Amino acid sequence: MLVLSALISGLGLGSMYGLMALGFHVTYAVSGTVNFAQGSSMMLGAVLTFAFAQTLGWPTGLAILLALLLCAAYGLLVEALAVRPFVKRGSDAWLMATVAMGIVLDNVVMFSFGKEPRSLHSSLAQTPMEIGGLGLGVYPLQIIIPVVGLCLAAGVHYLSRQTRWGTAMLAVVQNRDAARLMGIPVQRIVAGAFALSAVFAGVAGALIAPLVNVHSEMGTVFGLKAFAVAILGGIGSAWGVIVAGLLFGLLEALISATLGSGYTQIISFALVIVALAVRPNGLFGRAQVRKV
Amino acid sequence: MNNLNPDTTRQTDSFVSESKPVFAGQPGLMRPWQFALALAILAGMLVLAGLLNNYYVFVLANVALLAMVGIGLNVLMGLSGQVSFGHVGFYAIGAYVVAILTTRAGFGFWGAWPLAAIVCAAIGALLAIPALRVKGPYLAMVTIAFGFIVEHSIVEMSSITGGQNGIMDVAGPSLGEWLKGERAIAVIAIVTTALCLVAYALLSRGNWGAALRAVRDGEIASESIGLNPLIIKTVAFVVSAVFAGLAGGLYAPLAGFVTPSSFGFIQSILFVLVVMIGGAGTLLGPILGALIVGVLPELLARFEDVRLLIFGVLLLVVLWSAPNGVVGLLTQFWRLVARKLIGTTGISEYVVPVPDLERRVRRTLRAEALSMHFGGVRAVTDLSFTVRPAAITSLIGPNGAGKSTVINMLSGFYVPSGGRIFIDEVELRGKSAYSIARLGIARTYQTSQLFGSLSVLDNVALALPCGDLDALLSDYQIRSQKARWRAARLLRWCGFEGRLQQPASGLAHVDRRLVEIARGMATDPDVLLLDEPAAGLSREDKERLALLLRRIAEAGIGVVLVEHDMALVMDISDHVVVIDAGVFLASGSPAEVQNNPEVRRAYLGEAGSAALDGHSSARVTDNAPEALRVSGLTTGYGAEPVLHAVDISVRNGHTVALLGANGAGKTTLMRSLIGLHRPILGSIQLEAIEISVQSTEQIVSLGLVLVPEGRQVFPELSVLDNIRLGAFLCPEDRDSRIEGMLVRFPRLRERLHQRAGLLSGGEQQMLAISRALMSKPRVLILDEPSLGLAPKIIEELFQALRQLRDEGMTLVVVDQMAALALALADEAYVFESGHVVAHGTAREIARNPALAKAYLGGH
Repeated sequence: MLVLSALISGLGLGSMYGLMALGFHVTYAVSGTVNFAQGSSMMLGAVLTFAFAQTLGWPTGLAILLALLLCAAYGLLVEALAVRPFVKRGSDAWLMATVAMGIVLDNVVMFSFGKEPRSLHSSLAQTPMEIGGLGLGVYPLQIIIPVVGLCLAAGVHYLSRQTRWGTAMLAVVQNRDAARLMGIPVQRIVAGAFALSAVFAGVAGALIAPLVNVHSEMGTVFGLKAFAVAILGGIGSAWGVIVAGLLFGLLEALISATLGSGYTQIISFALVIVALAVRPNGLFGRAQVRKV
Repeated sequence: MNNLNPDTTRQTDSFVSESKPVFAGQPGLMRPWQFALALAILAGMLVLAGLLNNYYVFVLANVALLAMVGIGLNVLMGLSGQVSFGHVGFYAIGAYVVAILTTRAGFGFWGAWPLAAIVCAAIGALLAIPALRVKGPYLAMVTIAFGFIVEHSIVEMSSITGGQNGIMDVAGPSLGEWLKGERAIAVIAIVTTALCLVAYALLSRGNWGAALRAVRDGEIASESIGLNPLIIKTVAFVVSAVFAGLAGGLYAPLAGFVTPSSFGFIQSILFVLVVMIGGAGTLLGPILGALIVGVLPELLARFEDVRLLIFGVLLLVVLWSAPNGVVGLLTQFWRLVARKLIGTTGISEYVVPVPDLERRVRRTLRAEALSMHFGGVRAVTDLSFTVRPAAITSLIGPNGAGKSTVINMLSGFYVPSGGRIFIDEVELRGKSAYSIARLGIARTYQTSQLFGSLSVLDNVALALPCGDLDALLSDYQIRSQKARWRAARLLRWCGFEGRLQQPASGLAHVDRRLVEIARGMATDPDVLLLDEPAAGLSREDKERLALLLRRIAEAGIGVVLVEHDMALVMDISDHVVVIDAGVFLASGSPAEVQNNPEVRRAYLGEAGSAALDGHSSARVTDNAPEALRVSGLTTGYGAEPVLHAVDISVRNGHTVALLGANGAGKTTLMRSLIGLHRPILGSIQLEAIEISVQSTEQIVSLGLVLVPEGRQVFPELSVLDNIRLGAFLCPEDRDSRIEGMLVRFPRLRERLHQRAGLLSGGEQQMLAISRALMSKPRVLILDEPSLGLAPKIIEELFQALRQLRDEGMTLVVVDQMAALALALADEAYVFESGHVVAHGTAREIARNPALAKAYLGGH
């Protein structure tokens, strides 16, 4: 039973990692850049959902929708302020700039939202589920999370292949200049990717909010792990990062169930270093031909 | 034509005779004012540490520790161009080593502190193995992971680290009666920081500093002068780890206790902030950065909580407006003032007499049955040739023939899939690029790869030791009089006449070439490989280059030349090897090769007027309105123009061919027309609308559409999706137009749902054309449509193009196969070195000798 509940919560956690890593993937694929403070976008999703649903008492659906819209706006802001100016200059300072944006957002939230952690009440996270009288030790939400995560990933996969803007985005991924020659506005696609990326993180935040404490720093470690996942999966491969996210979540849950939670950080981060040492392009990434 | 000879190098007004020391402009320690100011700040801190109360002494000590970590991190970020968000890990290790050894193992502070540094060095070297194989965000991730591992390991290893509770009562060193507690540590910290600063200054101006910058500016180029980037970056990593460990070792007794919570991720970001705010790569930067990061929170003590918010905003502002930090701003300001006060900077320049290239017998390079496959693509197959010393061997062939691949194999950047390479009897295959450089193979690159932040002189001086860098703080190899004279002579000998102390990044195109050649020569090579050295040079510069290459050969070196300028190749080569599609085609003297019918066919296509006969040029009429007009188009990359005042006119319904050898500027012209290359001078009008300032998407929507070289279909998308994307801007009646495309190119219908990447080259070309036609072009430009295709497919393709032409489409065709393009065209322009050298009807141009000359050289 313990293992089963660990597996289920691991899948839930893993699909969150996968979702956020997918956010890293979309921006990286179209522009070669990422929002390194993706964890802050996730925190924003969680905090805004909390503020709308709990503090203002709006219906949950509306609260989440609005939270996600604001996440998208934040993604656009990150691209305009912390990425585009540096890419234009040919500088890689966007890495640092997005970290700085994250610090600013974390602290702005801390001031407006407060320092103390709060928990978001949800009917899906109150009584653990039972099957035939046996307690599973997991909340219904923990089953819903991976389902939503995978549906979202599949939805994006479908939309990117079936819509005009979706295929345009794939075209930019595959060949930027050729996409320009089709008249595709690459700059707007890149901005859109950053908005999408923040929305993915926001979904992760909103879904996970009832299970964890909501506070301004909740995203930091989560975001870094998601980046680790993105790298392990090979940041250029959409399904690679999702699979890596699920594996990472499962592994973490198993380690904390057996060795205790303290070791999860050590082992999972050590794994990242080892994996990169062995396969510098990620587990599912393709090696690039060296350009001379 | 002896103007290259250094004997006649003009005597400038800044002439300095040979007997005098010539490096007066070379300051003792890089930036004297920065060094003086930094030491003054540290001295001031030392004085204050004696005067202020304990609390402020604590603050001062903290500033010194921040500065110490910052100086170390500056070696990493400023000199080697890496970033680390995990240096708090080393800081923590230093602190815990001192805390554990002093409280539990009976060590004194002075015994424990150096051990802390040694432990950090070892762990730094270990971490460098995975860290330095990756770059950018990947490297950031490895360092972050390291920081977290250290933090959580400390928590978990509670039996020795005390877990969350940490270790209390860490005793500090005392410096006698007067200096105890915080004050003693503050003094030690400030003095150590000063020492670190001096070490940084020496490192930065010495061999290793130059090597670190070289690796940062051009890792690939650094290998070709014998530097091993991995070793060099590891050294930077270890130095920065040691400095962080030293600072951590002082932090433990300063605070009196250590707990894991002092070493969180955010602390790493503060360290990075110290370097960024101060100015990465500057001497003074970390000191100023540490002052700001360390003192600002004290000034805002009442708003403890806003500290991070302010730092976040500060970092953003610095990144936006002062990429070189506070020191960068100060430097700009200082230059402004200095210029007003003393006019232009008076760096001493000098004239160097005749150079002395070492006379020695140089070795022969042999390639035997060399092959290279990329995936399934055979770039080079079974190629053998010999490069004799004291001669110029040229490697020529049409575009995509595999010439650059050969150069990359010879210099060790690609490991050949088959065959062997020897220099005399030494086998080179499988050796790393830097070992091959050390064995006597020097090279230059298609786009010159200089170390932009180093001076011209340092670029060359750094290549002299060929990878042998000596001790860490030594500067003998590159700063000794001998080395600098030698480098300066080489530069003058290669014809570089500009200032030797200027940064290489600002050089004009021709100077970049010359400095790169001088840098290659500085390794005293047996063989010099040159990858298109004449590309983008003016006619006069090409003549100077030709003389230089001759003189290099006469000095005994075996020169390998890959070049598209056939006039140059035929003029100066002793031996020419022709390859086509990676396969040996012919070799011999220039005259033999020029008259070889196979070579002519490879370059000009199925020549002769037979192909022209089927086509009447009667269509050329002057009364059709102008569809596209280019006037005075001048543009280039960097200083040297690639196109010189090009005028082209394309009439509605006409087909115009643009001809010329590779490197003549055709691709740049295409990219300029379509808006991918900017900025440009001159005017481009599409049906009287000025498009030279429009974006690509606007230009496409106005009806100028390009089918790019190499097809560039979207490989992972289906054929249908590729065609649909062509209609991105005009989706109306998309499906019926797609049907039209499938009628035009029936081959595509069978493959409609396959991934485009799986199509053959010819099918991809048809797809690329259909995709472009879906954009409803008014003028359709085709860049190298026949490139790499089999003759039968080419015939089918050009049949389709003829049909398009006959339907009244306005076409502009660029093709290496001149005969093909001429058979299709009404009019043609011939390009050479960015100029239009001939223009006329297709029939006239086909008979114009300028055409063969543009492709094959000769007079």
